[in-house]
Amino acid sequence: MLEILYLLLPLSLAVIALVGGMLWWAVFSGQYDDPDAASQSILLDDDRTVSNISFKRK
Amino acid sequence: MKVQSIFALNRPLSPVEMDGRRRSLVRLGLAWLAMMQVMMFALPGYLRIEAGPNDSLEVLDWAIFMMNWASLALTVPVVLYAAWPVWQGVLTAFSERRFTMDIPVATSIVAAFIPSAYATITGHAEVYFDSVTMFVAFLLTARYVETRARQSLEVSRAGSELDALCQPLVAQSDRLAAIFILAQLVFAFVISSLWWMTYPEHALSILVALLVMSCPCALALAAPMSLAASHASLAAYPAMTDEQRALLFAHTRRITRQNLYGSLTWHVLTMPLAAVGWVTPWLAALLMLISSVAVVLNAWRLYAVPQSSLQTRPSQGFHPKAQS
Repeated sequence: MLEILYLLLPLSLAVIALVGGMLWWAVFSGQYDDPDAASQSILLDDDRTVSNISFKRK
Repeated sequence: MKVQSIFALNRPLSPVEMDGRRRSLVRLGLAWLAMMQVMMFALPGYLRIEAGPNDSLEVLDWAIFMMNWASLALTVPVVLYAAWPVWQGVLTAFSERRFTMDIPVATSIVAAFIPSAYATITGHAEVYFDSVTMFVAFLLTARYVETRARQSLEVSRAGSELDALCQPLVAQSDRLAAIFILAQLVFAFVISSLWWMTYPEHALSILVALLVMSCPCALALAAPMSLAASHASLAAYPAMTDEQRALLFAHTRRITRQNLYGSLTWHVLTMPLAAVGWVTPWLAALLMLISSVAVVLNAWRLYAVPQSSLQTRPSQGFHPKAQS
């Protein structure tokens, strides 16, 4: 009955390692740097139409 | 009105500051992740009762033994990586010959972790991995909020006036915390050695619970949180009249004092419960978090003060500017 633990325990550790790695990547790619930025970015969008084509965006 | 979050970036940070910010967030996140999993692994240990058929007890003990190893595997990175700022703090405290909050924190981590690791390897006695990871996770949460609160302080004329006004209170809270830590350390060691002489099997869990509770996280938050909330109020309502500003400053001082004495009272009330063995180590970690959250919520009331005075006295000509 307990044999299943040999599979489940390493599996759970692997999942934790995966989630931890994803968290690491998300934080160091700057996704959590400014929690306000995400909600404002849609409002502070660059609405110019001409300049987008004729100039390179920053 | 522009709502200001202490987690928001309100000024550009230097690469070093930004790196520190990210690192502390990763440490916090990993500690919470490991804590939740270790709590699940710890559950069979809490379900274990001596009564019952012998063979099922044997099976349960085997499951507990394996889960303890899994908990150990998760707790090692928490202690080594997530709690790294604590070890660093202890090193600086030793090199500068000062007594800081990190010393009792490190003592409680070591006191819970080393015997648990030993118990896991030998397969005897209880483990406290859930308490260790909970403690680290809650401690990092309180510190994360504290550093964010400090970082969000904007220096303005009214702001520096406020800082000058609250300086004695801040100094007082630092002094109180130092006395308090020392008293609690002495108390923890005296009480647990009394237990050691009478009931040695309970001594370790009581020592760990007392050391965990000795962490003055709420005390450390008391002054910075209310100052940060007050600064946020100043920034959000630049058109504040002198009278309203004075009112806000008075509120700040009052709430800082409430936080300070409230968290002290909380500690004094819960310590005897831990001393008689009614508080398990993980419950002690939870109690510590509750007091920290209470301090944060109390400080947040400061932010609501100008809004309420705005509603009661519209004739003052106090109109918050709608920003973005």
